Amino acid sequence: MTGPPPVRVEKALALMPELEALEPLRALLVSIARPDEATLWSSSGPYLTLGKRGVHPDELRRRMPQAFHRITEHLQVLFKAYIEALEGQQRGDAPGVVAALLRAGRLEEDVGRHTQAHTWYEVALGVAEALQDRRPEVEALRALGYVCLALGEHAASARHFQRSLALAEAEFDQAGATAASEGLGEVALAQGQWGGAQAWYSRGLRLAEAASDAPRVGRLERQLGVLARKQSDLAAAGDLLRRARERFEPAGLADEMARVLNEQGQVDAQLGRYTAASAAYREALAWAQRAPRDSGLELSIRLNLAELDLEAGRLLEAEAELRRAEQAAIAGNGIRRLAYIYTLMGRLRGAQGDETGFVFFEQAIELVRALPGSVVTEAQVYLAYGLFRSRLGQQDEARAYLERARELFDSLGEAVERERVDEELRALSA
Amino acid sequence: MPRLRILVVAGEGGNAGGLLQNLRQWADDGRLTIDTAPDLPRAVRQLAGQGWDVVLAVLGEHPDDDLSWWVDTLRGATGSPRLIAVAPAPSMGLVLRAEKAGVLDVLSLPLRREELVRALERIRSVAGETAVPLPVVQPHAVGPYALVGQSPAMLDVYKLLARVAGSSATVLIQGESGTGKEVVARAIHVNGPHASGAFVAVNCAAIPENLLESELFGHEKGAFTGAVTRKIGRFEQAGRGTLFLDEIADMSLALQAKILRAVQEREIERVGGGETIPVDVRLIAATNRDLKDAIKQGRFREDLYYRLAVVTIRLPTLVERGDDLVLLTAYYVRHFAERYGKQIHAISDRVLELLRAHAWVGNVRELRNVIERAVIVATDDMVRADHLPDELRGEETTLADRPQGGLLTLAEAEARHIARVLSHTNGQIGAAAEILGIHRNTLTRKMKEYGL
Repeated sequence: MTGPPPVRVEKALALMPELEALEPLRALLVSIARPDEATLWSSSGPYLTLGKRGVHPDELRRRMPQAFHRITEHLQVLFKAYIEALEGQQRGDAPGVVAALLRAGRLEEDVGRHTQAHTWYEVALGVAEALQDRRPEVEALRALGYVCLALGEHAASARHFQRSLALAEAEFDQAGATAASEGLGEVALAQGQWGGAQAWYSRGLRLAEAASDAPRVGRLERQLGVLARKQSDLAAAGDLLRRARERFEPAGLADEMARVLNEQGQVDAQLGRYTAASAAYREALAWAQRAPRDSGLELSIRLNLAELDLEAGRLLEAEAELRRAEQAAIAGNGIRRLAYIYTLMGRLRGAQGDETGFVFFEQAIELVRALPGSVVTEAQVYLAYGLFRSRLGQQDEARAYLERARELFDSLGEAVERERVDEELRALSA
Repeated sequence: MPRLRILVVAGEGGNAGGLLQNLRQWADDGRLTIDTAPDLPRAVRQLAGQGWDVVLAVLGEHPDDDLSWWVDTLRGATGSPRLIAVAPAPSMGLVLRAEKAGVLDVLSLPLRREELVRALERIRSVAGETAVPLPVVQPHAVGPYALVGQSPAMLDVYKLLARVAGSSATVLIQGESGTGKEVVARAIHVNGPHASGAFVAVNCAAIPENLLESELFGHEKGAFTGAVTRKIGRFEQAGRGTLFLDEIADMSLALQAKILRAVQEREIERVGGGETIPVDVRLIAATNRDLKDAIKQGRFREDLYYRLAVVTIRLPTLVERGDDLVLLTAYYVRHFAERYGKQIHAISDRVLELLRAHAWVGNVRELRNVIERAVIVATDDMVRADHLPDELRGEETTLADRPQGGLLTLAEAEARHIARVLSHTNGQIGAAAEILGIHRNTLTRKMKEYGL
């Protein structure tokens, strides 16, 4: 006897109310979900998604102390940061108060709690605004800019970076101005406003070069490379990335090297140089191995590798890589990534003309809807879903999904992606 | 055997100088070509540049992470190099994980000549594999699929299939995962009175429960959130053809009742629609579960079972099919060699041995996957043991003869067995403890002890 069968995740999650207090339990449940061994070789095995995995209540109970330990640990560092802020208040060290509150916000961001981080940064900004020294305010605004960007609140993010830039310039804080310019570039890039991104990154680059801040120069060159790639100027992208790489490699900046090579791989892939792209991604993984652990970066490289295999028609390799990425995303409760992984799996099935592949898009939509600030991801899933249906000759459904994608991109002011959806819709009508 | 090309890679912050010096001395017999890479990123560049037979990697401070990175990186690398991992004091857990991942060997530092020579000899022995020509196979084509096999168990299936195909009777196909239930269903369809209609397959376990009903019966526009257009369900799509419901045991009782109605009344209703639509499909259902057991547990409707199981075909497992394994292997090697543009005419005797020794939990589907991957990575005209996936090669006694004298200590044997059982239970300690017949606390202690 092997005891009762595991409960499917889709059923387990349906029993859990949407309460913030239960978030860690939800994360634990997802991270321990495993495929039933019998399912792996069954004909439904290739369509296995998170919802179809199983959990044993007994295992959840057994792992609870571990989860409590992690929660307590997080609360401890959070409380400590607050007490440090309080001590700063007691000794009249307002910049120290701001620094401690910002630290608490970063701790929240580290565990993916962006909304909570936003709240800490707001409090920090309130304290900083009353200070004569404006640098803490510059920093608090920058933190708010980035967290709003992560939450998909582009207008608010741009507002914070703009204010941060104005203050930094007024204070002759060159590092602050450079960072704010970089942030504004990121917002423009996220909205597909290439001209704006180019202007902000270039401005940041000039400031960083004047300050001889080599790592930041390299980072801005990489970002300009990303921008050039998105605009299909691949020669310029390659040149910018090479320059960034030449700055990072002698300095041994492993995480930056991994990012540059991850980008280089995408440039090579766009040029159809699959072997070079694969080598760049493999080397990026090697650098990521040397850097402080960043599971997000590693997963991003792996997903690019999978997409490369997918585009090159190496479907077996693509699937194997996606399954590895899926496991990593589930273990790390990386739901946003997981949604992207399922979108790619759906695309893979579409490439095989397999209608049942729709289950991956349905799962991806279900996952992103449960996430705050994931409208872009949701729109991208609908776009891919529409293309999947179109490929299978299901034009009405394809149109409906593409229109939904357009609606979502519109709500974000995302011009480039919206144009792409329009093109697909025009092609459908033709 | 030509000279072995070895790439020596230092671990993170490590120095392979001493190791390299030793290797160069040992390479005096002229059978080794040695080069070195100072770190992982540069090793990747060298691996992309040319083919190597062996990578001798010194693991760093995090040997497990390094090991999995290497296994990953060498997958599909030029020349399919084998990995020899070197660590200052490898734990038993590391050795076991390496074995499972198909690593050729794990050696401890300081490196001993005889250990390295033994590992390299194993690579050389791969060159000694003998070719077994592929037998001639005459498959029965079923659309894009084929029925392959001459075993008595399969001949019984063919006889039953021939008897049932000519009628319109509902058929229930039972068999373990990967035994070919859909292929048999297609064979019934193409040889039966519904052959001029469509063959529509639905995998009931793959589709989320809340979507399955509309997938089967269709829906009207606006029937529920997400019903953006009218959808024609699979029953209607099948028209006068065959509807194949795979993994039927995974269906909810509510949906089973609707299927029963469709089978009895020969009509359906779209979700959110009032119109009754007549259907004239042949129904074939399949399952890998014991439906009678599911009925006893109240998870499957008895009336539906009797409606579906007018004729029951039970498919044998791959192991029960004996020498069909060789025919299927030959068929798939040729099939994939053609697909991937390779000239493969044989498999090695070692491959055949490994295939015969494998348990084949996933039956023919697993064999198909194994052969497809092997054909992809094969570089000459023969599929060799090295082309098989790690799980199969892991069943070779790769590391068993590693300790001096060739025998395992009791602790090593215990650790290997525990690792195997844990792998079988997907890491579930409770289930593993049950199989091993020990208390879960004892198992947890032993896992800690062996670093598993």
